[in-house]
Amino acid sequence: MNSNIIFTDKQEPASLSNATFHKTTCPYCGVGCGVSTTVVNNKIVAVTGDEEHPSNFGRLCVKGSSLHETVADKGRILTPSVFGKPASWDEATTVVAEQFKQTIAEHGPDSVAFYVSGQILTEDYYIVNKLMKGFIGSANVDTNSRLCMASASVAHKRAFGEDVVPGCYEDLEQADVIFIVGSNPAYAHPIVYQRIVKAKEDNPNLKVVVIDPRATATSKNADLHIQLKPGTDAFYFNGLLAYLANNNGLDEEYIKEHCLGFDETLAAAKAQLPTLDSVAKACDVELKTLFQSYELFAQNKNVVSMFSMGINQSSSGVDKGNALINCHLASGKIGYPGAGPFSITGQPNAMGGREVGGLANQLAGHMHFENPNEIELVKRFWNAPKMAHKQGLKAVDMFDAVERGEIKAIWIIATNPVVSMPNANVVKEALTKCPLVVVSESYESAETINYADVVLPATTWGEKEGMVTSSERTISLQKSLVSAPGLAKNDWEIVTLVAQKMGFKDAFDYKDPHEIFTEHAALSGFDNLSAEENIVRSEDEYRVHRAFDISGLASISLDEYRNFTPTPWPINKENPYGVKRLFTQGVFATPTGKANLIPITAKLPQVAPTSSQMIMNTGRIRDQWHTMTRTGRVPKLMTHFAEPFIQVNAEDAKRLNVKDKELLQLDNLGSTYIGRALITDEQRVGEIFVPIHWNDSFSKSAKVSALINPITDALSGQPEFKQCPVEITAFNAKWAGYLVSTVPVSLNTDYWTVATIEQGVKYVLADKNELPFTKNNSEALLQAYYPDISDWVVLEDDKNHFLRIAGFHEDELICFFSACADAPIKYSTQFIEKQIGLKHDVKSRFKLLSALDSDGSLDVGEIICSCFQVGEKTIKDAIVSGDCSSVKALGEKLQCGTNCGSCIPELKEYFKV
Amino acid sequence: MNINHSASTFRKPILVIIGNGMATGRLLDEILSRTPDKFDIKVIGKEPFGSYNRIMLSSVLAGETNVDGIIQKTPQWYEDNSIEFLSDTIVSYIDSDNKNLALQNNQTPDVELLMPYDKLVIAVGSRSAKIPAKNQNIEGIFNFRDIKDTEKIQAFTTQKPDALHQEKNALVIGGGLLGLEAAYGLAVSGVNVTLVHRNKWLLNRQLDEVSGTMLRDVMAAKNINFVLGCEVVEFTHSINAAGEKVISGALLTSGQVLNAQLCVIATGITPNKELAASADIEMERAIIVNDYMQTSNEHISALGECCQHRNSTFGLVDPIWSQCKTLAERLCNGHLSAFANTPVPTKLKVSGIQLFSAGVVESSETTQTYVLTDKKSFIYRKIIVENDVIVGVLLFGNVSSGMAYFDMMLNRKKVSHAMPNLVMGHEFMPAEVKDSLIIAA
Repeated sequence: MNSNIIFTDKQEPASLSNATFHKTTCPYCGVGCGVSTTVVNNKIVAVTGDEEHPSNFGRLCVKGSSLHETVADKGRILTPSVFGKPASWDEATTVVAEQFKQTIAEHGPDSVAFYVSGQILTEDYYIVNKLMKGFIGSANVDTNSRLCMASASVAHKRAFGEDVVPGCYEDLEQADVIFIVGSNPAYAHPIVYQRIVKAKEDNPNLKVVVIDPRATATSKNADLHIQLKPGTDAFYFNGLLAYLANNNGLDEEYIKEHCLGFDETLAAAKAQLPTLDSVAKACDVELKTLFQSYELFAQNKNVVSMFSMGINQSSSGVDKGNALINCHLASGKIGYPGAGPFSITGQPNAMGGREVGGLANQLAGHMHFENPNEIELVKRFWNAPKMAHKQGLKAVDMFDAVERGEIKAIWIIATNPVVSMPNANVVKEALTKCPLVVVSESYESAETINYADVVLPATTWGEKEGMVTSSERTISLQKSLVSAPGLAKNDWEIVTLVAQKMGFKDAFDYKDPHEIFTEHAALSGFDNLSAEENIVRSEDEYRVHRAFDISGLASISLDEYRNFTPTPWPINKENPYGVKRLFTQGVFATPTGKANLIPITAKLPQVAPTSSQMIMNTGRIRDQWHTMTRTGRVPKLMTHFAEPFIQVNAEDAKRLNVKDKELLQLDNLGSTYIGRALITDEQRVGEIFVPIHWNDSFSKSAKVSALINPITDALSGQPEFKQCPVEITAFNAKWAGYLVSTVPVSLNTDYWTVATIEQGVKYVLADKNELPFTKNNSEALLQAYYPDISDWVVLEDDKNHFLRIAGFHEDELICFFSACADAPIKYSTQFIEKQIGLKHDVKSRFKLLSALDSDGSLDVGEIICSCFQVGEKTIKDAIVSGDCSSVKALGEKLQCGTNCGSCIPELKEYFKV
Repeated sequence: MNINHSASTFRKPILVIIGNGMATGRLLDEILSRTPDKFDIKVIGKEPFGSYNRIMLSSVLAGETNVDGIIQKTPQWYEDNSIEFLSDTIVSYIDSDNKNLALQNNQTPDVELLMPYDKLVIAVGSRSAKIPAKNQNIEGIFNFRDIKDTEKIQAFTTQKPDALHQEKNALVIGGGLLGLEAAYGLAVSGVNVTLVHRNKWLLNRQLDEVSGTMLRDVMAAKNINFVLGCEVVEFTHSINAAGEKVISGALLTSGQVLNAQLCVIATGITPNKELAASADIEMERAIIVNDYMQTSNEHISALGECCQHRNSTFGLVDPIWSQCKTLAERLCNGHLSAFANTPVPTKLKVSGIQLFSAGVVESSETTQTYVLTDKKSFIYRKIIVENDVIVGVLLFGNVSSGMAYFDMMLNRKKVSHAMPNLVMGHEFMPAEVKDSLIIAA
């Protein structure tokens, strides 16, 4: 068991007399909410939603509301280390610079690579991209955004000529119909979802259609749910296009004036799906609901189609994106308030990364390798000695190249690929083989540092300063509010130190992020043709049109930078205050100014399940973020789901002979995932859903990406995370239990999951072997893990059924172990979690072994509202007692659902007949 | 026939109670509360005191109270209640044919008195059991049954050490309740005490090995030494200034020799049934009584530690209190309310340590046993379940919920679903299943 688990520092009650207040931007999802912080004595003690920020207008989700709890020195990497030994910054950066230089000298520029993150800031991205593509001469820079929105990015490029999100969040409020496709914003983008909920309250005529193979918190509150067969989204949208054509749903004039490729596109759609019936069959949905959803699209002017991972994470994700965009173009539902396709990103700065060009298939500033003018333009701007001239390797290919030994030095920044990449165990092997692995990271719990030769401590949210761009193109500043722990440095700073030592002193001599950002802004405007000029440009035109133009920020002062008001790009001379919507005149970023409809032949996922397999869908849960390095530190975020799980249909559960909350095991590619079966009616038969977050730092076998086939979209390189066939079997535990402990320990059970709690950690345990009982000496079982403890209280039975052991040190409860041979599936640790770390009276402490408060008042049931820690039992009591007859009343009485609101769908379930 | 009895010829029936222990004290209360005037009551006691609480003798020995503090009925009390109390008196035989008793007063042993009775109650209790050791009849070896024993032991503990015996070493034989109390009393008085017990652990009839061992550890912390799994083979002696044989030590079955100037034998009790032989009533281990405490002679009843009901003899107070009620009801009111020897929990307090034991102590093939052990706090709780009901409870150190478990045991309440949490207290018994949650539509 990895013991890299970290705890939050206990917050001292802060005196507000010397408090300062600052606005910044949330580092979680792509919604990009504004956060108001209170800082006391170099500590962020409180966060609230920024009332003025255009993303959230004061609201924050539970993750955002807990941000201050993630900023703690514990569990942070504090000093650089080289080959396992602490080193100075000078030593560490010299090693990296020398090794990179030597590798490039011996094996060429493409023998080195950067793998970065949608969570680093625009300035960090810019520096990495500039170093690689202009000075090292390779485009081997890719980012975990590849796993997230690469398909959407390419689909935009194909349709609009540039990777542009045309609309904004306000469109959701102005829509008559919102299609939510392959997305569960109630969990993944809670604040955007709350805006939709509010919009629906304000406008009862607003209809929400969810297209998702899975029933989710989002679909449960929708007007219509198309629970389609996994991966058939393009069939659905091709069918929609044909339907529009057959039912007067097209905007012929818009097509004629502003689009290309319509006829071929419609022909392709009709060829594959000649009738509505054939669509219903292909998508495995009822004809009637299919028809209703198509009618909603056809009959309403204001339609927004919001899409995310369900579309993107696919072997044909780009096609799916274009199939969706085709419908908007062909019906002219784009470029005005309340309409348009709307890609919603998963990461706080995936958009910023795209703007910088920090992906292997991009060059810089929304420019690409395909056009020599663009390479030349960038070269001139950077005064670059060694430009890359072709695309680099995308994430999956990049790690394959590492594995093959072609890439010999890789620098990983702010991401955890041994957890998040498909076939993640191969990534481990690749990194083990690679001669030089450099990792810039903030948290000790990031598994990838275990494979690093050089570990560089990086600052994180609240410490570093720089810009991020939200899903609606709004640029906001993340501010530096507190000083860095230990020797940690900002990512841009670390990379410039190395770049300088590699001999690029002048090009990488920046004082602060402001200097980098203004350079980035200047590049965006450098030789930028307007869309109108672009259409009529001459053959020898060397200038290049980019919609992404923030040249209006190229000369802002440091002060203006630090007080930057969130603004959607483009920001230039014509639009100094930004632009909410693009393509309003029907002029696109293509050479012709016309949008492209792309003929799509819909494809199914590449690998079909065998008779013994089920299709595994993966995704986020409400309270966790990515690989949990940050959110795993916050006790209250571990309460909604404390364990990895597998959602399964009752019919499949019966076939697998598994009961609700028993353990299930998934296998693929020689890797195993063990999780708790959650039997729901949310899954279609033959399909399961698994959260992406858990990994070796938090559970024995829960790294779902290790099971994912390394199959990617040929155009975007994005892996097929959503439809992976896996073997599934019951885990068949001989015993199950838990250990609540003030300190982390390393247990060797067949299954364990650790969750951070207020006073320590909680392990949930199960094993396929009998519990080892030692009569009258059962404490020996724990003694090995707690050598300093000699004071034990034990509860056991002579038929080896129950075993509970409490260990005390100076009357303080240090650990509490409970196991039962029946492998129980329901127990509450809430009482014990509150007792751990406290001193207990020796005469009555034996009662602790019940693991229950005798009057039960401490047991609030499963936590539903994470923000206020309101449990199911409390909620049901309030309903049964007659005190509360609505979600609103529950909120008034118990506060549940009144902060981030992401539990409201669950609260509503209590009032369903 | 003259049916007009004159007042002068009317005589109350004479009720004689032989023995003046705790059972008699309780029986008197029961009778007086029912029919204070029905009988001419006479109580014959061997000891020179009124009725006292024998359980408290260890407290006297430990100096926590004195003899006066444990007397429950003084001679004045008998007088106030018109009861004739003959102290210091023994009954030498019962002439059941003529319903007469032959009495001897300890002060005038040569005089034999006759006392008539109409109803007779034998409540002569028990005496310490003998042990199979040689040389038991030497000075310095005591029982621990009555005030006299206690005073003798106290005399030893308070005596100034002489030149020869700088140390005071005492042996206690028997690791039952009485032996433990004696050992504790002696240890508190500053004597070096070693307790010798035949079984591997203390209180082996009430405790299992773990709790018995725990008890030893607690007592050891109070300066008592233990030699367990051993018996005395013989006592050694020396001759004192008066020329008497005085105990000097003991040889144990293990071969170990212990030095001692005092020995208290507390290895259990033997019912005093001999007197009944003279009345020619049925006896086995003790005097046999029926469900109404009547012996085979309809005028003679027996009670307490000297009686045998079905196959049981008695040593704890609870069943004896029930016997007193049954007997008083019959004698006073002529009601026959059968004595039922229902199981009773053993509730003990050994030198401040609470114990509770009921039902079986050891597990078997067909039982499930749930055990909580807190070694540091000396708390041990065990519940034995068979066929879903409690059949045994053993609580050591903390006896909370003992009676609740006992009720569950008697009422055969199903408990398996409450296991193992029930071990921590009866409050963890789940409430009856409530109606399933109904949510408003």
